[in-house]
Amino acid sequence: MFDKLEILQMAQAMATHAAARQGAIAENVANADTPGYRARDLASFAETYRAGNGAPMRATRNGHLDELVEHREPEPLARARPGSESPNGNTVSLELEMVAAADVKREHDLALAIYQTSMGILRTGLGRRA
Amino acid sequence: MNDFATSLSRSASGMQAQAMRLRFTSENIANADTPGYHRKTSSFEEVVESGRPTGQVRLGPVELDRRELTRVYDPGHPMADENGYYDGSNVDLVVEIADAREAQRSYEANLRMFDQARQMSSALLDLLRR
Repeated sequence: MFDKLEILQMAQAMATHAAARQGAIAENVANADTPGYRARDLASFAETYRAGNGAPMRATRNGHLDELVEHREPEPLARARPGSESPNGNTVSLELEMVAAADVKREHDLALAIYQTSMGILRTGLGRRA
Repeated sequence: MNDFATSLSRSASGMQAQAMRLRFTSENIANADTPGYHRKTSSFEEVVESGRPTGQVRLGPVELDRRELTRVYDPGHPMADENGYYDGSNVDLVVEIADAREAQRSYEANLRMFDQARQMSSALLDLLRR
């Protein structure tokens, strides 16, 4: 019932996005020495959320609008970084990946904090101490 | 949670590949004075399962460095020919040390990604505990 609240929904989408992006970064770091590997990344949360999930349509029955739900998955896109290509065709830069990883951690922490605080407010509304 | 599982397995595959690379490096260094030893090298490659890259990485097949062996002048050596030369190894210690250092750095990067994914998933689980 709580996923009808938009702020919880948004926090959930943000945490999911952070987790997916962490997967992409882990892939880049693991392949930092693979010849010919192109670094991948996801679009930022702001872009994906606005594009796919800004105003969700209400389904009258479970199973409707399944396609829409699938569209929400952020698509991996190649990260173009001119000049950072090694002679073996690899475009991963460990420094940039570390920056992105710190970003992801912050995003995930933020999402969880929002979720937790909202739940606290709900609990306070129910008359319990948060 | 699935995203975290993928990140963890990707980071783990990266660590494994780097550890394997370090193994070859130590093998080369150990055999730096073995007559006729060819340096072992290997290249990283993406793991592909049923036609799709999984994002994991592994070490490709081992190859031998085809550079010429160094000719060492030592008439007292049991393997020396009539001119007093024998074939040494083609291991270059400086290259091996640089390779080992790079493997260590990449291993650390993978380890950090692993740790971050673990922290993120445990922060998520902490929400359930309260």
